[in-house]
Amino acid sequence: MKRLSAILEHHSAALLVFGLVIAFGSTTPGTFATGSNFENIARQISLDAPMVFGQMVVLIAGGIDISVGSTMAMAASLAIGLQPFGTPVAVLGALGFGLGIGVLNGLLVTRGKIVAFVATLGTMSLVRGLLLTYTGQTSLVGTDPAFTFWGNGQIGPVPVSFLVVLAVLAALYALLGHTRQGRNLYAIGGNSDAAFLGGVSVNKGLMLAFIISGVMAALSGVLVASRLNSASVQLGADAPLMSISAALIGGASLFGGKGSIVAAFFGILALGILNNGMNLLGVPTYTQIAVRALILIAIVVIDALATRLRRRELDNARIIE
Amino acid sequence: MKTQVSEHSGRTHGPPNPPVPPAKSGGRKRHWSEPLRNNTAVLLLIVLVIAGSFLSDVFLTPRNLLNILWAVSLLGIVALGQTILLLTARFDMSVAGVVGLAGIVTVLAQINGFGLYSSIAFGLASGVLVGLCNGALVLATGANPFLVTLGVNLLIYSLALSLTESKTLTSTIPEFTVLGRGQLFGFLHYSVILFLALAMILEFALRRTILGRTIYVAGLNEVAGGLSGLRIQLTKMSAFVLCSTLAALTGIIMTSRTNSTVASAGFGMEFDSIIAAVLGGTSLFGGRGGTLRTIVGVAVLGVMNNLLVLLNVPSEAQQIAKGLVFLAVVLADSALRRS
Repeated sequence: MKRLSAILEHHSAALLVFGLVIAFGSTTPGTFATGSNFENIARQISLDAPMVFGQMVVLIAGGIDISVGSTMAMAASLAIGLQPFGTPVAVLGALGFGLGIGVLNGLLVTRGKIVAFVATLGTMSLVRGLLLTYTGQTSLVGTDPAFTFWGNGQIGPVPVSFLVVLAVLAALYALLGHTRQGRNLYAIGGNSDAAFLGGVSVNKGLMLAFIISGVMAALSGVLVASRLNSASVQLGADAPLMSISAALIGGASLFGGKGSIVAAFFGILALGILNNGMNLLGVPTYTQIAVRALILIAIVVIDALATRLRRRELDNARIIE
Repeated sequence: MKTQVSEHSGRTHGPPNPPVPPAKSGGRKRHWSEPLRNNTAVLLLIVLVIAGSFLSDVFLTPRNLLNILWAVSLLGIVALGQTILLLTARFDMSVAGVVGLAGIVTVLAQINGFGLYSSIAFGLASGVLVGLCNGALVLATGANPFLVTLGVNLLIYSLALSLTESKTLTSTIPEFTVLGRGQLFGFLHYSVILFLALAMILEFALRRTILGRTIYVAGLNEVAGGLSGLRIQLTKMSAFVLCSTLAALTGIIMTSRTNSTVASAGFGMEFDSIIAAVLGGTSLFGGRGGTLRTIVGVAVLGVMNNLLVLLNVPSEAQQIAKGLVFLAVVLADSALRRS
């Protein structure tokens, strides 16, 4: 029984993916379970996946990043808008912008002592303003055809963007699981006071988490820009909710210290399959919005109830001792 | 407020106590920043108004000042509700959706043959319902209010889209527009009067009623409040309902102004209302602030926007200014709280 609940807790996202594949495979025969549709899903989720990874890292460290959507949109605009200076400059500029926002978020949280979601709410508004000013509310169109390779190209049957995501996944997996800095993030998220007393540099860890999130959001932006070969201010409007939902489905907690990058991947995969399946079934747009909203509410409520239950068990165990 | 309390207690306990020089040890030593902390928004407003009168000829005309008030009064009403909820240390990100939904419900009721007052009642009821829903979800489970209300916001938005089939609806009762367009003495819009009156009534309620005082306790120390026999859960629930209802009222007035509805009518108001409340000096962490302060916060936002327009700053830059002001205020709030 205990083992079953452990499996449910640690692999809930993977199980959800499995269930969704079976459900959509049986309700939409001939359209869902085809090679080209799976390729489609892979392409879709690889645009958002880096951002979800970044959100996961911040959530593990006990923070949250609301600014990912506007950072992503601004990075996409820079990746397109800076192309006259050469595509490498444009991509580096976009990623550098993400780094800068990560540093700003990190400083606001560690030096300014502002709660993470308030601080990132502020940067979100700020970056949204920068974006509106930079683009003048018009769409930017790319000039370098070679740039579209990252979002549209494929090697064999595999989209290039998906390979980029796998590379990022491997790097972050190694960082979180196999380096001291990465392990420290779990300690900080679990109990930052205890981590501090245990000699962990809490500020450095939080800074690292926000920088990863900023750069990852920017990478999502670069991939989106490459895929569309354009950028507009509408990009990333639902990104904060989407990335948080995906990370929470992947076992992260708003109370910190939980989750993994692989689980985050399954989280975004589950959302991607759900969106794809609803499109194939012809579900109206507003019903899709409602489903996404209900998923977010449900998962936040479940997270709160589960955390409360775990704390109560911990308290009971202490009383028995 | 703080100084009043300490003076008062000093006086009652004064005579029996040994005579101590009141200036030195009569109570806590006041930090140099205390007057500043309590009046940052007023200072900011004065600076902005002085700067405005130098920068533009039309700024200090009564007509322009009334225009500013008219422009911000709707956001102001939402911000009043948000202020009450912030005092209990919670947020409501669904106000944006409620503003859109309430207008749509009101107009739909009119289209389906209900009268002026009953249709407005339907609109307000939709706000009450959303407030109950928010409150139940957050309070029963202890879930993160920010994300839950964001989810509810999205849910309301999809509901509004499906109710209108993404079309714009038009009111069928001509008198309905009086609420949004009517003016007292030919220059004072009803929405401005309503905003200012509500702010005063709510401030009075916060200071002088049990419910009002309990709202502060709920934000400061709900455990202690509960142990003292205050009905904390009920109070927090009423704060959620009040916040949504005021957002619904705003949606109805907004609809009456333009005589039409769209689901996205309130977009951005969730964030702006929090900025206005915090700008006025209401803490993000509960227990400190008031609705009169929110008038000042809303006025600062309005004057800032007005100045940027008068100075021909592109409208996109207003968003940057808003973000910077928000971060500055939150940083100051956090720094002063620690000092």
